[in-house]
This record gives sequence, structure tokens and C-alpha cells, in this order.
Amino acid sequence: MTRLVIRGLTKRFGGLAALDGVDLALREGEILGVIGPNGAGKTTLFSLIAGSLRPSSGEILLDGRRVSGLPAHRCVRAGIVRTHQIVRPFGNLTVFENVLVAAIHARRPGARPGAGHARDRAGEVLEFVGLADRMTQFPGTLTLAGRKRLELARALATAPRVVLLDEVIAGVNPTEALAFAQLIRRVRDERGVSVMMTEHVMPAVMSLSDRVFVLDHGKQIAEGTPAEVVANPQVVAAYLGTEAEQAVAS
Amino acid sequence: MSLRPPPVIPRTAGIVFAAACVALGVVPVVLDLSAYAHNQLTFLFITIAGALAWNWMGGFVGQISFGHAAMFGIGAFVAGRVSLNLHLPVPLSWLAGAVVAGVFAIGAHPLLKLRGPYFSIATIGVGEAARVVFTYWEGFTGGSSGLSLPIDGDLKYQLYWWALGFAALVAAASVVIRRSSFGLKLLAIKADADAAADVGISAPFYQDLVFVLSGAVVGLSGALYASFQSFIEPADMFGFDRSIGFVLTAVIGGVGTALGPVLGAIVFVVVKLYLLDSHPELHLGLYGMLLILVILFEPLGLAGLFRRVVRRLRPARGGGS
Repeated sequence: MTRLVIRGLTKRFGGLAALDGVDLALREGEILGVIGPNGAGKTTLFSLIAGSLRPSSGEILLDGRRVSGLPAHRCVRAGIVRTHQIVRPFGNLTVFENVLVAAIHARRPGARPGAGHARDRAGEVLEFVGLADRMTQFPGTLTLAGRKRLELARALATAPRVVLLDEVIAGVNPTEALAFAQLIRRVRDERGVSVMMTEHVMPAVMSLSDRVFVLDHGKQIAEGTPAEVVANPQVVAAYLGTEAEQAVAS
Repeated sequence: MSLRPPPVIPRTAGIVFAAACVALGVVPVVLDLSAYAHNQLTFLFITIAGALAWNWMGGFVGQISFGHAAMFGIGAFVAGRVSLNLHLPVPLSWLAGAVVAGVFAIGAHPLLKLRGPYFSIATIGVGEAARVVFTYWEGFTGGSSGLSLPIDGDLKYQLYWWALGFAALVAAASVVIRRSSFGLKLLAIKADADAAADVGISAPFYQDLVFVLSGAVVGLSGALYASFQSFIEPADMFGFDRSIGFVLTAVIGGVGTALGPVLGAIVFVVVKLYLLDSHPELHLGLYGMLLILVILFEPLGLAGLFRRVVRRLRPARGGGS
């Protein structure tokens, strides 16, 4: 079943189209990698889906319901949540409170939102990402990897159906990166959340993703399994330049 | 799972708070206070309530307002007019003042799109505009000659308990807000309004809500103050000094702490009492110095200092850890 459908999504900043007529579908329980060179429009795409930006045209449907144009906090309640490339923990709240505040609005069928429910949920999510022993600490005392886990925990606490991970692995050491990849897989397998992720760490995206979607200059240039995408000459050209360009450069 | 976060409000703290309120409630009867002391305590309670309510916006949401005198003045003049012209019972007139001040605060909605210093500067504009408008609106405020309310000795005596109850309620509300999930959302907005939106918290909604609550309570404190003074004039009620007063009391007491503004208000009133009479030119300088000391050495103000002392003392008493 298709969780998220995106049709003709376009975002213009003045004359520049940061995203130009993107069509995309995210299936239930799928990990979709979104890759592309710097400035390809990956973060813009995420900001549009998460409601941080309003699209210039096109639409976004979550389980058949239109969510494009909703403000960010409404998108979260609808079930779409994002994490940021540069982590943004609430520095004045403890690790537990950071997750608790995100869990307050979490709505699950059958469970009423409420303080007690939110506390249980926050504790469970912290356990899931492996931060249960850091609950009373402040985010500033965590390592970068720890803060990235917190960012993920905060997103999961909102009980999302779709989670958008913007460069969660980049910047952490290889051991942590491996653990993180495992964690992302568990988000899909154990929590049934569909994942869309951008990542510069290619081996991570390629090994995690069921499908990969390639953007360049705001346009979709390829889509398919990791193996198909890597073999696509257009993708290679976008990343490495064409032979003619290389000849000019050398 | 060892999931035992501290209770929302520790029981001992609740008992101490209730005992303090009861003690203050019987003080005038037991101690046979002079009229002067009685009135100064009344004034202190009104100041405490206003400072606490300012802190909901400035401390919890982190939007520093330099325009709360607008709501203070509106509460005072509406209450005054309602009791003078409509002959309603005084407590009802106070309520009317609070409601109108709260409604006025809704008008601040466009301002709340601004954050940080931009918001603060805009509130200065609103506060000053309110002062000018109400000074020239002579039919309502009496202009620069002000508004005289009937002097009622009994009411002024009883005002002590009204003000005490009011301050106690606002203090209790501050603690509950600070510790509740509502307060948690406000602190998240304070830390990062965009990140708060990304976890489902609507910053505009909560900011509006808190500004209205804060405005209504400050309006109510203005209304009580009007009854307390029996004479109010726009230049004083809407004055920039008053707006600064709210900021000072909260900052000295501890911005963002639940009860710090209570301490700040005590310092504010005591300084005013002992320095205003003897050296009227000195007290603003002293506030300035206090402000510098607080910002340099203890950003959480007197409440932060208090916490530090408690932390020092605790291991000695508990015998380690």
C-alpha cells in the first residue's frame, strides 16, 4: 500500500525552482533513500513534506489525505515528522523532557493523548533508541551521536507514520554509523514506520534503502533499486560530471 | 523499567506554600500591623502577581515584553470606569478590567510573529502608543488629570486579603504551568519555535494563549492597584517605568523560574520603600546595578542563588550523595 504520494511538487524561490515537478511514492514499511549532489533540493523536498515550507504547486497525500499546505505542527499530527541535519534539541529541557514534549500530541488509535500516556511513550522511545540511561541529563552533555539519537527519539515519540531523516548518519564515527543504520532498520521493522532518508554516506543509503530516488537541480533523474541507480549513467553524470566536462576540467 | 520522574509538585513544597499563605492571612489580625505596613504588604502582593504573570510570557515562552504597562493600565481604567459609571460591585469591576486587558492582548497576535529583540522593540511601541492614546482619551481616563475613585477605608483594609489570595493563586498557577506538560511546551517554544513545530507544537497558538492569560492577570493586578490607590492617571499607569518594572522584578528574581519573580517583587518593593522616600534619584540606579549583577553572575536571579545555596547545604545534611 502506498503511504505517501507526491504529485508535481514544485517550489520556487523567486525565479529559481529548487524543486521542479517531483513525483514520488513512498510505500508502507519502505525505506526510501533520496540522494543527489549538494543543492539538488533534498532538504527542500523534506521541508515541503514536513510543512516547514509551502509548495508553489503540486500536492502531497498521506494515506489519501491531502497534507500539502498544512503548517508543520499539523503535519506532525497527521503523521509526518522530520529530523534535522543539524540537530536541534531543546537545550533547556532534559533528555526525557525533550521526548516527553514530543509525545504529548502523539495519537494512536485507541489510546487517548494524556500526560501519563505520554510519559510511558517517552520512556519506551528512549529505551528504543538506547538513551534510557541518559534521561535526566541535558542534551548538551550528549555526544553528537547521542544528540542524533535524541533527535530520532523525539521524532518517533510523535507516533509518526512517515519519518523523514535528513542526514542522520553523517558526522558520526563508523561504529556509530553502523549502529545507526541498524536502528533505522528497526524503526521500519519494529515500529512499522515508513522511512525517507537523505544521506551523504553512500554505503549507508545503498545498503539500507529498498529504493533510491535521485534528485539533481530540483528534478528527478532516476528511481529504482540501489543497484539500478548506481548503474544509471545519468546518476553517474550528476555526481561525477560527464566525460566531456571531465575533459574540459582536466 | 526505572521510570520514576519526580512528582509534578513535591508534597512538602505544597504544605510550606499553604502554610505561608495562611500565616500571611492571619498576620494583620495577630500582629496588629500599622496601616502603613498593612498597605505596603497589599502593594507587595499586587506587585508579586503582576511580576509572576509577566514571567509566563517573558520567562516561560521567552518573549520579553516591554509593554505590559498597557494591560496594567487598561485593567485599572476599565475597572475604575465600570465601578464609577455602572455602579457594579468592585470585585466585578476588577474582573471586567482583567477581561478587557486579556482581549487587548489578543491584539498582540501580529507582534508574536516577531521573536527575540524584534518582539521586545515592538512591545515598546505598543506600550507607548497605548500611553498616548489613553492620555488623550480624556472622556475615558480623565486625561492628564486622571481618575479619582471613591475612597473606601474598609475596601482598602480588605484589599489585603483580596491581593493575598490573588497573588497566591497566580503563584500556584505559575508552579502548575511550569511543571505541567503545558509548561513543557512553552519551554520547548522558548528553546526553538521551529523545532517545536516539528514535534507538533503550534508556537503561534501557545504564544497567543499565554499572552492573553498574562495580559488578563496583569490587567487584574492593575485593577486592584486602582482600588488600592483610589487615584490613577494615564501617564503613571501606562508609563514606560511600569513596563520596565515588570521586567526588572522578573529578571532580578529569576526569569523562567516558577517563583523567582516573588523574590524579585519583594526586593523591588523594599527598595522602593526605603530608597524612594529618602533618595528618589537613587533607586533606578540601584535597579540598574542589580540588573548588571544578575546578568553577569546569576542569570537565574535570586531564585538561582537560592537553588545554589540549597544545593550547597543539602549534602551536608543528607550525609553524602
